[in-house]
Amino acid sequence: MFRIILLALCCLVHTNIASAQGTFQDLVQYHAPNIIKGSVKTAPPVITDIQNFGGPVATDFLLAWQSKELWFRKSDDRLITVTTTDKKTYTLLDLQTGDSIGSATKSEIKQIKPNSGLRGMLGTSLVASQLISDDINTRAASLRSLARDPKPTHLAPLRVAVAKETDPDLLVKMTRLERLLTTQYDTNSYERVKAINSFSNDLGLDVRGRLNPILDTKIQLSKTAPDHGKFAQIITPNADGEFTPTDAYAMIVARGWAEPDITTDEKRQAIINNIENGSVAGIDIKTLDTAQSRDAAYAALAKLGTVPTDVSDADIQAAINTTHFYTTYLETDPAVVAATSETLDSINTRVGISNTIDLFLDGLSLASIFFLAAIGLAITFGVMGVINMAHGEFIMMGAYTGYLVQQIITNYTLSIIIAIPAAFMVTFVAGVLMERLIIRHLYHRPLETLLATFGVSIALQQLAKNIFGTQARPLTSPDWLGGAWQINDVISISWIRVAIFVLSILFFLMLWFTLNKTRLGLETRAVTQNPRMAASMGINPAKINMLTFGLGSGIAGIAGVAIGLFAKVTSELGSDYIVQSFMTVVVGGVGNIWGTLAGAAMIGFLQKGIEWFNPSNTLAAQTFMIVFIIIFIQFRPRGIIALRGRAAGD
Amino acid sequence: MKKILLATALTALTTTTAIADIKVGILHSLSGTMAISETTLKDTMLMLIEQQNAKGGINGEKLVPVVVDPASDWPLFAEKARELLSVEKVDVIFGNWTSVSRKSVLPVIEELNGLLFYPVQYEGEESSKNVFYTGAAPNQQAIPATDYYLEELGVEKFALLGTDYVYPRTTNKILEQYLKDKGIDGNDIFVNYTPFGHSDWSKIVADVVALGADGKKVGVISTINGDANIGFYKELAALGVSADDIPVVAFSVGEEELAGLDTSNLVGHLAAWNYFQSAEGEANAEFIKTWKATMGENRVTNDPMEAHYIGFNMWVNAVTAAGTTDVDAVRTAMYGQKFPNLTGGMAEMLPNHHLAKPVLIGEIQEDGQFDIISQTTEVPGDAWTDFLPESAVLKSDWKDLGCGMYNIETKSCVQVKSNY
Repeated sequence: MFRIILLALCCLVHTNIASAQGTFQDLVQYHAPNIIKGSVKTAPPVITDIQNFGGPVATDFLLAWQSKELWFRKSDDRLITVTTTDKKTYTLLDLQTGDSIGSATKSEIKQIKPNSGLRGMLGTSLVASQLISDDINTRAASLRSLARDPKPTHLAPLRVAVAKETDPDLLVKMTRLERLLTTQYDTNSYERVKAINSFSNDLGLDVRGRLNPILDTKIQLSKTAPDHGKFAQIITPNADGEFTPTDAYAMIVARGWAEPDITTDEKRQAIINNIENGSVAGIDIKTLDTAQSRDAAYAALAKLGTVPTDVSDADIQAAINTTHFYTTYLETDPAVVAATSETLDSINTRVGISNTIDLFLDGLSLASIFFLAAIGLAITFGVMGVINMAHGEFIMMGAYTGYLVQQIITNYTLSIIIAIPAAFMVTFVAGVLMERLIIRHLYHRPLETLLATFGVSIALQQLAKNIFGTQARPLTSPDWLGGAWQINDVISISWIRVAIFVLSILFFLMLWFTLNKTRLGLETRAVTQNPRMAASMGINPAKINMLTFGLGSGIAGIAGVAIGLFAKVTSELGSDYIVQSFMTVVVGGVGNIWGTLAGAAMIGFLQKGIEWFNPSNTLAAQTFMIVFIIIFIQFRPRGIIALRGRAAGD
Repeated sequence: MKKILLATALTALTTTTAIADIKVGILHSLSGTMAISETTLKDTMLMLIEQQNAKGGINGEKLVPVVVDPASDWPLFAEKARELLSVEKVDVIFGNWTSVSRKSVLPVIEELNGLLFYPVQYEGEESSKNVFYTGAAPNQQAIPATDYYLEELGVEKFALLGTDYVYPRTTNKILEQYLKDKGIDGNDIFVNYTPFGHSDWSKIVADVVALGADGKKVGVISTINGDANIGFYKELAALGVSADDIPVVAFSVGEEELAGLDTSNLVGHLAAWNYFQSAEGEANAEFIKTWKATMGENRVTNDPMEAHYIGFNMWVNAVTAAGTTDVDAVRTAMYGQKFPNLTGGMAEMLPNHHLAKPVLIGEIQEDGQFDIISQTTEVPGDAWTDFLPESAVLKSDWKDLGCGMYNIETKSCVQVKSNY
């Protein structure tokens, strides 16, 4: 407190000095240490002084300070702005006149960098003048900074600005902010209620942020029951709740309605203080080895009048029972409180619905990511029955292909369009090579396939580490895929996830068509069901196996590009997805892509659902999900959609 | 007795043969997941040793680097440390990055009385006689950053997001207690842990944004490690979370990590370290120049590199002062060693084996560098945090008390070895 007074005094004194000396430079020079240091704790008096000086020079100064354009000379702390042509020598400019006052090298001067808290504060201080600036960008920026930290005094300038605004988009935002500020800062109760009611359909976070504090309450107590309408809620102290009997009794004591409770420690201290000749109030101290005997000794002392009487638990309970506890709103206007609580109820219902939809969208998005990662596997593992542990590494190769394409073609849109077929080609070739060199020799020997492909997986990972390093590589999405689809303030989903959803639907349709309606699909199914019979019908099983494996791998490559866009491109990218991919295929049911779709949907929604129950630990959510899936597989070992009859093989 | 005689004879033998040079062990992973971060530190050490040799070595003796590769395999760290100390007979080791690898090396270093310089920011709650911690303790990174949030940005609601392992969990435990001591309600602290390499951030980011519904300013403190940061920052950018609305301060994201990201959407988010490449000063400019000349123009410098720079130079000065590389003599000479930071001011080695260093807070810029907006004076590193009741009574002082875990209430040394 003393410090604050001192600070206030300082302000008072130096304002006088500054105004006595007159020039703007003197004023800011006086404040130079605080301006250079730049903390929100010391800035307010400085800003007030500068604003009081007034004029364009003050506004320009605050602007320069906010936009990190202010510098100072190290030798004498003189505040300046600078220009430079070669980044080595700087021309120093006077704050007031803008004339050159000499030049300096980089090491002789230093830039002043206010932190974002201070920049916000400076922005708010400039609001009144900037809201009616001629430049639309200045107005928009100033409106943003006002929305962050509005003060009651800003309502008037904002209304002036609303009246003057010509740009329709900005006018909408301005009017909205004006309505928001009216709910809190207008003096007229009717105006406030009107403004509050106007937001009943608005899900904006800023609306809830403004309205919730209106309903803040504080706890009151009285001897008689409060009149109807004078309280927000009657509360009763509860040992397990937020308002405990101890808190309640402390409030009663603070009012002077009861004597303070004596704690066990205080009792012991009082007994020790009153030991006379080995006894306390006539009781031998040797007997004082239980809580009851000590209580009795204290009671005896109290009877003698040496210590204050202890309050028994029954007395405390009685005091609490005869007192009424209730909360009242900090807001004094009942009409405003009623309107706010009604509006918030309406908003909260909508928020609840929106949250559910948002959770659904999150689940859908996760499901489509799992589907995309697993769909290649649905062919190689699901249809062909090859346990390919290197599937994840094909995803990784696709992502790195996307990265490489982006290194050559800098237009992000074009590079993605080229990266998708390129990734398909690269992983198709890799898949065909792997089938020819390794898997071909291991058909119907699942254990050896598993080990061999696991080895390939490790080798590919290390290869990627050697070529690209372990640091993540950027795969940037084009601008039109940046940002999010904001349906309202609660429901939003990033465009890249929407794109992945669309991509996985496309893949599903394409694969379904290929497997069921084309000759390749027919031959694939024939070969996987009975290779000998297929061969005798004139199909070349070796060729079909090679092509099918290549197709599955190629799709993994495309999935890699998509996953790289929203996550990261590292050598471990694939191993992050391999477990989920196998899980998706197995849970869904081996052998058809409908199963993969069902599996991805189940895992995606399940994971989001569990996360919703336990938001603080994502890892726990994943563990629960795996436990659930183990149980599920116990009951449906063939997955959600199990093939029947001959197609089931074996 | 025979053994001891033999050992002395051997030592005598090795000292006579090694009189011409001083061996410096470098224990950083050159392969595996930690390779990219740790390889940089190996290169830093080689550069520093070369510079010192160009100046004539120490007391006329040349420095010889001995590089081993523990391959990001934590138990292998212990094996390699044993090899360095008992086969190569190095005089000092510079190494380790992850806390788990340091914990694996500790018993070996203490058994063989080696000397290790550990250059990375860590969770504290440890003090070994044989380790000098040149990175930041929690009070040199996490606490000042939280203070910055509370005082400068006016944050009232905190989201503590971390990767699920020892460093984030310990740091968040300390921060949670610290925030409660500062009067932040328990309901206003949101904690979330995610696995290594987590990529599905949409719901978590949405949850953080929704925290602002009651009109309080929200800030995120991120102890997310490694690749998971990329997905996290991409999701932040996609949802248009501006640093002015919900700032994110990260403790494990530096120049090196930002190299993998498009930073244009992250401008204004924060990081807290003891060093940024953008720090102005002649020493730093010189350091960056040498680094780029050795390693290539597009390479960046970072905080653990500065920690090695200070640690190595302090060790050189301590050996020069002690006139020997004997571990106990050097250790005694280390206390009170001062060396200029690259960011200005003097780093000082304290009796608890930690440094006094300034804390810097930087805002991310478009070019992936940091704009330093806050720099404190030197903060003494604290091995045992003052904000957890069980650690507040502990103190580390190897100089006068000879104990790394001293209980100031019972006035007794809890234990000397750091096998906790």
